Amino acid sequence: MTALDFETSNEAQWSELEKALTRGEKTLDPERILFLYRTACEHLALAEARGFPAPLVSRLSALTARAHQIVYRQTDLGLGRIARTLMHAFPAGVRAHRWYVLLAALLVVAPAVALGYAVAHRPDLILSLADSTTVERFGRMYDPANPAIGRVRDAGTNWMMFGFYIANNIGIAFQCYVSGILFGLGSLYYLAFNGAFGGAVAGYVTSIGFAGTFFPFIATHSAFEITAVVLSGAAGLKIGRSVLLPGRLPRVASLQLAARETSVIIFGSAVMLVIAAAIEAFWSSAAWVSPSAKFSGAAGCWMLVAIFFLRRPRAD
Amino acid sequence: MSLAIDTIVTAETPEGISISIRPAGFAVRACAFLIDVLIRIAILFACASLFSAGRQVGIGLLLISGFVINWLYPVLFELSAAAATPGKRAMGLYVLMANGLPLTPAGCLIRNLLRAVDMLPLLYASAIVCILLRRDSRRLGDLAAGTVVAYRHELERAGRLADGVPLPPPMALTMRQQLALTAFAWRVERLTPARAEEIASHAAALWPAPGPPAGAPMTGRLIGIARWLHGDRR
Repeated sequence: MTALDFETSNEAQWSELEKALTRGEKTLDPERILFLYRTACEHLALAEARGFPAPLVSRLSALTARAHQIVYRQTDLGLGRIARTLMHAFPAGVRAHRWYVLLAALLVVAPAVALGYAVAHRPDLILSLADSTTVERFGRMYDPANPAIGRVRDAGTNWMMFGFYIANNIGIAFQCYVSGILFGLGSLYYLAFNGAFGGAVAGYVTSIGFAGTFFPFIATHSAFEITAVVLSGAAGLKIGRSVLLPGRLPRVASLQLAARETSVIIFGSAVMLVIAAAIEAFWSSAAWVSPSAKFSGAAGCWMLVAIFFLRRPRAD
Repeated sequence: MSLAIDTIVTAETPEGISISIRPAGFAVRACAFLIDVLIRIAILFACASLFSAGRQVGIGLLLISGFVINWLYPVLFELSAAAATPGKRAMGLYVLMANGLPLTPAGCLIRNLLRAVDMLPLLYASAIVCILLRRDSRRLGDLAAGTVVAYRHELERAGRLADGVPLPPPMALTMRQQLALTAFAWRVERLTPARAEEIASHAAALWPAPGPPAGAPMTGRLIGIARWLHGDRR
Protein backbone atom coordinates (compact mmCIF):
# COMPACT_ATOMS: atom_id res chain seq x y z
CA MET A 1 0.00 0.00 0.00
CA THR A 2 1.42 3.37 -0.98
CA ALA A 3 1.17 6.49 1.17
CA LEU A 4 -1.37 7.89 -1.28
CA ASP A 5 -3.66 4.84 -0.96
CA PHE A 6 -3.24 5.00 2.79
CA GLU A 7 -4.25 8.65 2.83
CA THR A 8 -7.26 8.31 0.56
CA SER A 9 -8.67 5.29 2.38
CA ASN A 10 -8.38 6.88 5.84
CA GLU A 11 -8.87 10.58 5.13
CA ALA A 12 -12.54 10.48 6.17
CA GLN A 13 -11.72 9.31 9.70
CA TRP A 14 -8.85 11.75 10.15
CA SER A 15 -10.84 14.76 9.09
CA GLU A 16 -13.75 13.67 11.28
CA LEU A 17 -11.39 13.63 14.29
CA GLU A 18 -9.83 16.92 13.19
CA LYS A 19 -13.24 18.58 13.03
CA ALA A 20 -14.28 17.14 16.37
CA LEU A 21 -11.11 18.53 17.98
CA THR A 22 -11.55 22.04 16.65
CA ARG A 23 -15.25 22.18 17.39
CA GLY A 24 -14.83 22.08 21.17
CA GLU A 25 -15.42 19.50 23.79
CA LYS A 26 -19.09 19.73 24.59
CA THR A 27 -20.28 18.31 21.30
CA LEU A 28 -18.12 15.18 21.28
CA ASP A 29 -19.48 11.69 21.39
CA PRO A 30 -17.01 10.00 23.76
CA GLU A 31 -17.11 6.53 22.23
CA ARG A 32 -16.68 7.82 18.71
CA ILE A 33 -13.74 10.00 19.78
CA LEU A 34 -12.09 7.06 21.52
CA PHE A 35 -12.50 4.94 18.42
CA LEU A 36 -11.15 7.64 16.12
CA TYR A 37 -8.26 8.37 18.48
CA ARG A 38 -7.17 4.73 18.73
CA THR A 39 -7.47 4.31 14.98
CA ALA A 40 -5.33 7.40 14.42
CA CYS A 41 -2.73 6.00 16.87
CA GLU A 42 -2.65 2.78 14.88
CA HIS A 43 -2.27 4.71 11.64
CA LEU A 44 0.54 6.78 13.09
CA ALA A 45 2.43 3.66 14.13
CA LEU A 46 1.91 2.15 10.66
CA ALA A 47 2.94 5.34 8.87
CA GLU A 48 6.15 5.55 10.92
CA ALA A 49 7.01 1.89 10.40
CA ARG A 50 6.43 2.07 6.64
CA GLY A 51 8.46 5.24 6.21
CA PHE A 52 5.58 7.30 4.84
CA PRO A 53 6.36 10.96 4.05
CA ALA A 54 7.21 13.20 6.99
CA PRO A 55 4.25 15.58 6.47
CA LEU A 56 1.81 12.69 6.77
CA VAL A 57 3.52 11.42 9.92
CA SER A 58 3.61 14.88 11.52
CA ARG A 59 -0.04 15.44 10.67
CA LEU A 60 -0.97 12.18 12.40
CA SER A 61 1.20 12.93 15.41
CA ALA A 62 -0.38 16.37 15.84
CA LEU A 63 -3.80 14.77 15.55
CA THR A 64 -3.07 12.06 18.12
CA ALA A 65 -1.35 14.49 20.50
CA ARG A 66 -4.36 16.82 20.51
CA ALA A 67 -6.83 13.95 20.93
CA HIS A 68 -4.68 12.43 23.69
CA GLN A 69 -5.08 15.62 25.73
CA ILE A 70 -8.85 15.26 25.57
CA VAL A 71 -9.12 11.50 25.98
CA TYR A 72 -7.06 11.42 29.17
CA ARG A 73 -8.31 14.64 30.73
CA GLN A 74 -9.48 14.58 34.36
CA THR A 75 -12.71 16.48 34.21
CA ASP A 76 -13.98 15.37 37.58
CA LEU A 77 -13.93 18.57 39.61
CA GLY A 78 -17.32 17.93 41.19
CA LEU A 79 -18.47 19.43 44.46
CA GLY A 80 -18.81 15.95 45.95
CA ARG A 81 -15.12 15.39 45.47
CA ILE A 82 -14.26 18.73 47.04
CA ALA A 83 -16.45 17.94 50.05
CA ARG A 84 -14.86 14.48 50.40
CA THR A 85 -11.41 16.02 50.14
CA LEU A 86 -12.20 18.57 52.84
CA MET A 87 -14.01 16.26 55.24
CA HIS A 88 -11.84 13.15 54.94
CA ALA A 89 -8.65 13.57 52.93
CA PHE A 90 -7.72 16.82 54.70
CA PRO A 91 -7.84 15.53 58.32
CA ALA A 92 -6.30 12.24 57.18
CA GLY A 93 -3.44 14.17 55.56
CA VAL A 94 -2.93 16.16 58.76
CA ARG A 95 -2.89 13.00 60.89
CA ALA A 96 -0.39 11.39 58.51
CA HIS A 97 1.96 14.34 59.11
CA ARG A 98 1.38 14.64 62.84
CA TRP A 99 5.06 15.03 63.73
CA TYR A 100 5.48 17.90 61.32
CA VAL A 101 2.32 19.47 62.75
CA LEU A 102 3.60 19.09 66.33
CA LEU A 103 6.95 20.61 65.39
CA ALA A 104 5.26 23.51 63.61
CA ALA A 105 2.93 24.08 66.57
CA LEU A 106 5.92 24.08 68.90
CA LEU A 107 7.69 26.58 66.65
CA VAL A 108 4.74 28.94 66.95
CA VAL A 109 3.80 28.40 70.58
CA ALA A 110 7.26 28.40 72.21
CA PRO A 111 8.33 31.85 70.93
CA ALA A 112 4.82 33.17 71.53
CA VAL A 113 4.82 32.10 75.18
CA ALA A 114 8.40 33.19 75.77
CA LEU A 115 7.97 36.63 74.25
CA GLY A 116 4.50 37.06 75.70
CA TYR A 117 5.87 36.44 79.17
CA ALA A 118 8.93 38.61 78.65
CA VAL A 119 7.07 41.56 77.12
CA ALA A 120 4.33 41.44 79.74
CA HIS A 121 7.04 42.02 82.35
CA ARG A 122 9.26 44.36 80.37
CA PRO A 123 7.01 46.11 77.80
CA ASP A 124 9.90 48.00 76.20
CA LEU A 125 11.19 44.67 74.80
CA ILE A 126 8.55 44.84 72.07
CA LEU A 127 10.50 47.65 70.47
CA SER A 128 13.08 45.08 69.40
CA LEU A 129 10.43 43.45 67.19
CA ALA A 130 8.44 46.41 65.94
CA ASP A 131 8.94 50.16 65.64
CA SER A 132 7.16 52.58 67.95
CA THR A 133 4.39 53.64 65.52
CA THR A 134 3.35 50.00 64.96
CA VAL A 135 3.37 49.40 68.69
CA GLU A 136 1.29 52.48 69.30
CA ARG A 137 -1.17 51.35 66.61
CA PHE A 138 -1.58 48.01 68.37
CA GLY A 139 -2.23 49.86 71.61
CA ARG A 140 -4.99 51.90 69.98
CA MET A 141 -6.54 48.85 68.31
CA TYR A 142 -7.38 47.15 71.58
CA ASP A 143 -8.33 50.26 73.52
CA PRO A 144 -11.61 49.40 75.31
CA ALA A 145 -12.87 52.89 74.35
CA ASN A 146 -12.79 51.81 70.71
CA PRO A 147 -16.23 50.86 69.32
CA ALA A 148 -14.77 48.25 66.96
CA ILE A 149 -11.84 46.23 68.21
CA GLY A 150 -8.99 44.61 66.35
CA ARG A 151 -7.82 47.10 63.78
CA VAL A 152 -8.34 50.81 63.89
CA ARG A 153 -11.46 51.36 61.84
CA ASP A 154 -11.50 55.02 60.99
CA ALA A 155 -12.91 54.19 57.57
CA GLY A 156 -13.49 50.51 58.04
CA THR A 157 -16.53 48.35 57.81
CA ASN A 158 -16.84 44.64 58.37
CA TRP A 159 -16.84 43.79 54.65
CA MET A 160 -13.70 45.74 54.02
CA MET A 161 -11.93 44.00 56.88
CA PHE A 162 -13.15 40.61 55.61
CA GLY A 163 -11.34 41.30 52.35
CA PHE A 164 -8.25 42.52 54.15
CA TYR A 165 -8.11 39.52 56.49
CA ILE A 166 -8.44 37.02 53.65
CA ALA A 167 -5.64 38.60 51.63
CA ASN A 168 -3.41 39.04 54.68
CA ASN A 169 -3.92 35.66 56.36
CA ILE A 170 -3.77 33.52 53.26
CA GLY A 171 -0.66 35.45 52.27
CA ILE A 172 1.02 34.53 55.58
CA ALA A 173 -0.01 30.88 55.26
CA PHE A 174 1.28 30.67 51.69
CA GLN A 175 4.55 32.21 52.83
CA CYS A 176 4.93 29.59 55.56
CA TYR A 177 4.28 26.83 53.01
CA VAL A 178 6.19 27.78 49.90
CA SER A 179 9.24 29.15 51.68
CA GLY A 180 9.74 25.57 52.91
CA ILE A 181 11.36 24.89 49.55
CA LEU A 182 14.47 26.69 50.89
CA PHE A 183 15.43 23.54 52.82
CA GLY A 184 12.67 24.24 55.35
CA LEU A 185 14.43 27.34 56.65
CA GLY A 186 11.75 29.69 55.32
CA SER A 187 8.98 27.81 57.12
CA LEU A 188 11.02 27.72 60.33
CA TYR A 189 11.58 31.45 60.14
CA TYR A 190 8.03 32.50 59.29
CA LEU A 191 6.47 30.19 61.89
CA ALA A 192 8.78 31.36 64.66
CA PHE A 193 8.55 35.00 63.63
CA ASN A 194 4.75 35.00 63.51
CA GLY A 195 4.63 33.20 66.86
CA ALA A 196 7.06 35.64 68.44
CA PHE A 197 5.29 38.65 67.01
CA GLY A 198 1.85 37.47 68.12
CA GLY A 199 3.14 36.65 71.59
CA ALA A 200 4.86 40.01 71.91
CA VAL A 201 1.70 41.87 70.92
CA ALA A 202 -0.33 39.84 73.45
CA GLY A 203 2.22 40.58 76.15
CA TYR A 204 2.35 44.28 75.32
CA VAL A 205 -1.42 44.69 75.23
CA THR A 206 -1.67 42.90 78.59
CA SER A 207 0.99 45.12 80.12
CA ILE A 208 -0.94 48.27 79.21
CA GLY A 209 -4.12 46.79 80.68
CA PHE A 210 -6.13 46.10 77.52
CA ALA A 211 -6.23 42.31 77.99
CA GLY A 212 -9.97 42.50 78.55
CA THR A 213 -10.53 43.46 74.92
CA PHE A 214 -7.62 41.61 73.33
CA PHE A 215 -8.24 38.04 74.42
CA PRO A 216 -11.98 37.93 73.65
CA PHE A 217 -11.08 39.37 70.26
CA ILE A 218 -8.55 36.75 69.22
CA ALA A 219 -9.97 33.71 71.03
CA THR A 220 -12.54 32.61 68.42
CA HIS A 221 -10.97 33.09 65.03
CA SER A 222 -7.56 31.95 66.27
CA ALA A 223 -9.02 28.43 66.46
CA PHE A 224 -9.06 28.42 62.66
CA GLU A 225 -6.36 30.96 61.91
CA ILE A 226 -3.50 29.72 64.08
CA THR A 227 -4.33 26.10 63.26
CA ALA A 228 -4.27 26.86 59.53
CA VAL A 229 -0.96 28.74 59.77
CA VAL A 230 0.54 25.86 61.79
CA LEU A 231 -0.70 23.34 59.21
CA SER A 232 0.69 25.37 56.30
CA GLY A 233 3.99 25.64 58.14
CA ALA A 234 3.98 21.89 58.79
CA ALA A 235 3.43 21.29 55.08
CA GLY A 236 6.30 23.70 54.38
CA LEU A 237 8.56 21.76 56.76
CA LYS A 238 7.67 18.57 54.92
CA ILE A 239 8.58 20.24 51.62
CA GLY A 240 11.86 21.40 53.16
CA ARG A 241 12.67 17.93 54.42
CA SER A 242 11.94 16.43 51.01
CA VAL A 243 14.55 18.74 49.48
CA LEU A 244 17.07 18.37 52.29
CA LEU A 245 16.77 14.59 52.79
CA PRO A 246 15.32 13.12 49.60
CA GLY A 247 16.19 9.56 50.64
CA ARG A 248 16.34 7.19 47.70
CA LEU A 249 14.59 9.55 45.32
CA PRO A 250 16.18 12.22 43.15
CA ARG A 251 15.69 15.62 44.79
CA VAL A 252 13.18 16.87 42.23
CA ALA A 253 11.09 13.69 42.40
CA SER A 254 11.12 13.86 46.18
CA LEU A 255 9.95 17.48 46.04
CA GLN A 256 7.15 16.55 43.65
CA LEU A 257 6.01 13.74 45.92
CA ALA A 258 5.98 16.01 48.97
CA ALA A 259 4.12 18.74 47.08
CA ARG A 260 1.50 16.22 45.98
CA GLU A 261 1.07 14.86 49.50
CA THR A 262 0.78 18.30 51.10
CA SER A 263 -1.46 19.94 48.50
CA VAL A 264 -4.58 18.70 50.29
CA ILE A 265 -3.38 20.26 53.57
CA ILE A 266 -2.85 23.60 51.86
CA PHE A 267 -6.27 23.43 50.26
CA GLY A 268 -7.86 22.73 53.66
CA SER A 269 -5.84 25.49 55.34
CA ALA A 270 -7.01 28.02 52.75
CA VAL A 271 -10.64 27.12 53.50
CA MET A 272 -9.98 27.41 57.26
CA LEU A 273 -8.45 30.85 56.72
CA VAL A 274 -11.52 32.08 54.87
CA ILE A 275 -13.67 30.87 57.80
CA ALA A 276 -11.27 32.62 60.21
CA ALA A 277 -11.49 35.87 58.21
CA ALA A 278 -15.29 35.78 58.30
CA ILE A 279 -15.33 35.21 62.08
CA GLU A 280 -12.70 37.89 62.64
CA ALA A 281 -14.58 40.48 60.60
CA PHE A 282 -18.12 39.85 61.81
CA TRP A 283 -17.88 38.26 65.27
CA SER A 284 -14.55 38.90 66.96
CA SER A 285 -14.64 42.64 66.38
CA ALA A 286 -18.28 43.14 67.33
CA ALA A 287 -18.27 45.21 70.51
CA TRP A 288 -21.90 44.34 71.28
CA VAL A 289 -21.02 40.68 71.98
CA SER A 290 -20.05 40.27 75.63
CA PRO A 291 -16.61 38.80 76.37
CA SER A 292 -18.17 35.78 78.08
CA ALA A 293 -20.24 35.00 74.98
CA LYS A 294 -17.08 35.34 72.89
CA PHE A 295 -15.18 32.97 75.17
CA SER A 296 -17.94 30.34 74.97
CA GLY A 297 -17.99 30.71 71.19
CA ALA A 298 -14.20 30.35 71.20
CA ALA A 299 -14.36 27.20 73.34
CA GLY A 300 -16.88 25.75 70.90
CA CYS A 301 -14.70 26.54 67.90
CA TRP A 302 -11.54 25.09 69.46
CA MET A 303 -13.46 21.90 70.37
CA LEU A 304 -14.81 21.72 66.83
CA VAL A 305 -11.33 22.01 65.33
CA ALA A 306 -9.92 19.43 67.76
CA ILE A 307 -12.71 16.94 67.06
CA PHE A 308 -12.38 17.52 63.32
CA PHE A 309 -8.74 16.48 63.30
CA LEU A 310 -8.72 13.91 66.09
CA ARG A 311 -11.91 11.94 65.33
CA ARG A 312 -11.45 8.38 64.33
CA PRO A 313 -10.79 8.08 60.61
CA ARG A 314 -13.60 6.55 58.61
CA ALA A 315 -12.73 3.04 57.51
CA ASP A 316 -13.03 3.11 53.72
CA MET B 1 19.38 10.30 13.70
CA SER B 2 18.73 11.53 17.24
CA LEU B 3 21.27 14.32 17.49
CA ALA B 4 19.68 16.66 20.05
CA ILE B 5 19.68 19.93 18.15
CA ASP B 6 16.24 20.85 19.44
CA THR B 7 14.55 20.61 22.85
CA ILE B 8 11.74 18.23 21.90
CA VAL B 9 10.97 15.58 24.51
CA THR B 10 8.81 12.58 23.78
CA ALA B 11 6.33 10.84 26.03
CA GLU B 12 4.87 7.41 25.39
CA THR B 13 1.15 6.76 25.54
CA PRO B 14 -0.67 3.53 26.41
CA GLU B 15 -1.54 3.20 22.73
CA GLY B 16 2.13 2.60 21.99
CA ILE B 17 2.78 5.85 20.17
CA SER B 18 4.97 8.66 21.41
CA ILE B 19 3.87 12.24 21.72
CA SER B 20 6.36 15.01 21.10
CA ILE B 21 6.43 17.91 23.53
CA ARG B 22 8.13 21.09 22.35
CA PRO B 23 8.78 23.16 25.52
CA ALA B 24 8.19 26.88 25.24
CA GLY B 25 11.27 28.99 25.96
CA PHE B 26 11.75 32.16 27.95
CA ALA B 27 10.88 34.76 25.29
CA VAL B 28 7.53 33.34 24.26
CA ARG B 29 6.51 32.68 27.86
CA ALA B 30 7.44 36.24 28.82
CA CYS B 31 5.19 37.53 26.01
CA ALA B 32 2.34 35.32 27.22
CA PHE B 33 2.90 36.55 30.77
CA LEU B 34 2.81 40.21 29.70
CA ILE B 35 -0.49 39.66 27.87
CA ASP B 36 -1.90 38.03 31.01
CA VAL B 37 -0.71 40.91 33.19
CA LEU B 38 -2.43 43.42 30.91
CA ILE B 39 -5.67 41.41 31.01
CA ARG B 40 -5.51 41.17 34.80
CA ILE B 41 -4.96 44.90 35.13
CA ALA B 42 -7.93 45.53 32.85
CA ILE B 43 -10.16 43.23 34.97
CA LEU B 44 -8.98 44.91 38.15
CA PHE B 45 -9.78 48.35 36.72
CA ALA B 46 -13.22 47.12 35.71
CA CYS B 47 -13.78 45.80 39.25
CA ALA B 48 -12.54 49.08 40.73
CA SER B 49 -14.97 51.17 38.71
CA LEU B 50 -17.76 48.70 39.49
CA PHE B 51 -17.13 48.73 43.25
CA SER B 52 -16.31 52.41 43.60
CA ALA B 53 -19.98 53.07 44.34
CA GLY B 54 -19.80 50.74 47.33
CA ARG B 55 -17.57 52.84 49.64
CA GLN B 56 -16.02 50.58 52.33
CA VAL B 57 -17.90 47.48 51.19
CA GLY B 58 -16.50 48.28 47.76
CA ILE B 59 -12.93 48.43 49.07
CA GLY B 60 -13.44 45.07 50.75
CA LEU B 61 -14.81 43.53 47.56
CA LEU B 62 -11.93 45.08 45.61
CA LEU B 63 -9.37 43.53 47.97
CA ILE B 64 -11.05 40.14 47.62
CA SER B 65 -11.25 40.40 43.84
CA GLY B 66 -7.62 41.51 43.67
CA PHE B 67 -6.65 38.39 45.57
CA VAL B 68 -8.91 36.15 43.48
CA ILE B 69 -7.67 37.60 40.20
CA ASN B 70 -4.04 37.22 41.20
CA TRP B 71 -4.22 33.64 42.44
CA LEU B 72 -7.18 32.09 40.67
CA TYR B 73 -6.84 33.64 37.21
CA PRO B 74 -4.19 31.18 36.00
CA VAL B 75 -5.79 28.24 37.86
CA LEU B 76 -9.23 28.70 36.34
CA PHE B 77 -7.96 29.21 32.81
CA GLU B 78 -5.48 26.35 32.94
CA LEU B 79 -8.18 23.97 34.15
CA SER B 80 -10.35 24.85 31.14
CA ALA B 81 -10.28 22.74 28.00
CA ALA B 82 -7.57 24.91 26.41
CA ALA B 83 -5.24 24.28 29.41
CA ALA B 84 -3.84 27.78 28.94
CA THR B 85 -4.33 31.34 30.14
CA PRO B 86 -5.45 33.78 27.42
CA GLY B 87 -1.86 34.97 27.09
CA LYS B 88 -0.51 31.45 26.57
CA ARG B 89 -3.35 30.75 24.16
CA ALA B 90 -2.51 33.81 22.12
CA MET B 91 1.10 32.64 21.86
CA GLY B 92 0.04 29.10 20.87
CA LEU B 93 1.10 27.48 24.15
CA TYR B 94 -0.56 25.13 26.60
CA VAL B 95 0.27 23.44 29.91
CA LEU B 96 0.50 19.68 30.29
CA MET B 97 2.06 17.17 32.65
CA ALA B 98 5.69 16.36 31.89
CA ASN B 99 4.69 12.74 31.20
CA GLY B 100 2.50 13.91 28.32
CA LEU B 101 -0.82 13.56 30.12
CA PRO B 102 -3.26 16.45 30.31
CA LEU B 103 -2.83 18.87 33.21
CA THR B 104 -4.38 17.53 36.43
CA PRO B 105 -6.21 19.83 38.87
CA ALA B 106 -3.57 19.16 41.58
CA GLY B 107 -0.73 19.91 39.18
CA CYS B 108 -2.40 23.13 38.13
CA LEU B 109 -2.89 24.25 41.74
CA ILE B 110 0.70 23.50 42.75
CA ARG B 111 2.35 25.16 39.76
CA ASN B 112 0.34 28.32 40.32
CA LEU B 113 0.75 28.36 44.13
CA LEU B 114 4.50 28.14 43.72
CA ARG B 115 4.49 31.36 41.73
CA ALA B 116 5.09 32.79 45.21
CA VAL B 117 8.55 31.16 45.14
CA ASP B 118 9.24 31.80 41.48
CA MET B 119 8.64 35.51 42.09
CA LEU B 120 11.51 35.70 44.58
CA PRO B 121 13.57 37.77 45.06
CA LEU B 122 11.85 40.10 42.59
CA LEU B 123 10.31 40.15 39.11
CA TYR B 124 10.16 36.35 38.78
CA ALA B 125 13.97 36.15 38.92
CA SER B 126 13.99 32.56 40.21
CA ALA B 127 11.65 31.47 37.43
CA ILE B 128 13.73 33.22 34.76
CA VAL B 129 17.00 31.67 35.94
CA CYS B 130 15.39 28.25 36.17
CA ILE B 131 13.80 28.49 32.71
CA LEU B 132 17.03 29.68 31.11
CA LEU B 133 19.10 26.92 32.72
CA ARG B 134 16.87 24.00 31.82
CA ARG B 135 16.56 22.37 28.40
CA ASP B 136 12.84 21.85 29.02
CA SER B 137 12.33 25.45 30.23
CA ARG B 138 10.47 24.64 33.42
CA ARG B 139 10.27 26.99 36.41
CA LEU B 140 10.36 25.82 40.04
CA GLY B 141 6.58 25.57 40.17
CA ASP B 142 6.62 23.37 37.07
CA LEU B 143 9.24 21.11 38.66
CA ALA B 144 7.25 20.67 41.86
CA ALA B 145 4.00 20.06 40.00
CA GLY B 146 5.54 17.91 37.25
CA THR B 147 4.18 20.16 34.52
CA VAL B 148 5.62 21.75 31.41
CA VAL B 149 4.55 24.63 29.16
CA ALA B 150 4.73 23.57 25.51
CA TYR B 151 3.73 24.62 22.01
CA ARG B 152 0.30 23.43 20.96
CA HIS B 153 0.24 20.99 18.04
CA GLU B 154 -1.32 22.81 15.09
CA LEU B 155 -3.75 20.83 13.00
CA GLU B 156 -3.29 22.98 9.87
CA ARG B 157 -1.05 21.24 7.41
CA ALA B 158 2.09 23.05 6.30
CA GLY B 159 3.13 22.76 2.66
CA ARG B 160 2.02 20.37 -0.09
CA LEU B 161 3.61 17.94 -2.49
CA ALA B 162 5.00 19.81 -5.51
CA ASP B 163 3.47 19.05 -8.92
CA GLY B 164 5.38 16.99 -11.45
CA VAL B 165 5.40 13.87 -13.60
CA PRO B 166 5.96 10.71 -11.51
CA LEU B 167 9.23 8.96 -12.23
CA PRO B 168 10.24 5.45 -11.08
CA PRO B 169 13.40 5.56 -8.94
CA PRO B 170 16.48 4.50 -10.94
CA MET B 171 17.73 2.33 -8.04
CA ALA B 172 16.60 0.77 -4.79
CA LEU B 173 16.29 3.45 -2.12
CA THR B 174 16.75 3.02 1.62
CA MET B 175 14.05 4.18 4.01
CA ARG B 176 16.04 7.27 4.97
CA GLN B 177 16.65 8.17 1.35
CA GLN B 178 12.92 7.86 0.65
CA LEU B 179 12.12 10.07 3.64
CA ALA B 180 14.65 12.68 2.53
CA LEU B 181 13.21 12.74 -1.00
CA THR B 182 9.59 13.14 0.08
CA ALA B 183 10.52 15.79 2.64
CA PHE B 184 12.37 17.68 -0.11
CA ALA B 185 9.40 17.49 -2.50
CA TRP B 186 7.06 18.85 0.18
CA ARG B 187 9.35 21.75 0.94
CA VAL B 188 10.60 22.66 -2.51
CA GLU B 189 7.89 25.26 -3.21
CA ARG B 190 9.16 27.35 -0.32
CA LEU B 191 12.72 27.47 -1.72
CA THR B 192 14.06 29.62 -4.55
CA PRO B 193 14.60 27.53 -7.73
CA ALA B 194 18.36 28.13 -7.58
CA ARG B 195 18.60 26.91 -3.97
CA ALA B 196 16.35 23.92 -4.71
CA GLU B 197 18.59 22.93 -7.61
CA GLU B 198 21.68 23.35 -5.46
CA ILE B 199 20.25 20.93 -2.88
CA ALA B 200 18.93 18.52 -5.52
CA SER B 201 22.24 18.36 -7.39
CA HIS B 202 23.78 16.40 -4.50
CA ALA B 203 21.63 13.43 -5.57
CA ALA B 204 23.55 13.21 -8.86
CA ALA B 205 26.52 11.65 -7.07
CA LEU B 206 24.37 8.72 -5.95
CA TRP B 207 22.83 8.13 -9.37
CA PRO B 208 23.66 4.67 -10.84
CA ALA B 209 25.98 4.59 -13.89
CA PRO B 210 25.96 6.19 -16.39
CA GLY B 211 24.57 9.00 -14.20
CA PRO B 212 21.67 11.36 -14.83
CA PRO B 213 21.30 12.99 -18.28
CA ALA B 214 23.60 16.00 -18.28
CA GLY B 215 22.13 19.49 -18.28
CA ALA B 216 18.63 18.47 -17.22
CA PRO B 217 17.51 20.04 -13.88
CA MET B 218 17.66 17.63 -10.95
CA THR B 219 14.83 19.32 -9.01
CA GLY B 220 12.07 18.08 -11.35
CA ARG B 221 13.61 14.61 -11.40
CA LEU B 222 13.62 14.32 -7.59
CA ILE B 223 10.06 15.65 -7.34
CA GLY B 224 9.03 12.98 -9.87
CA ILE B 225 10.68 10.23 -7.83
CA ALA B 226 9.07 11.56 -4.62
CA ARG B 227 5.65 11.55 -6.29
CA TRP B 228 6.23 7.96 -7.41
CA LEU B 229 7.25 6.97 -3.86
CA HIS B 230 4.21 8.70 -2.47
CA GLY B 231 2.04 6.50 -4.69
CA ASP B 232 1.39 8.57 -7.80
CA ARG B 233 1.78 5.99 -10.64
CA ARG B 234 0.20 7.78 -13.60
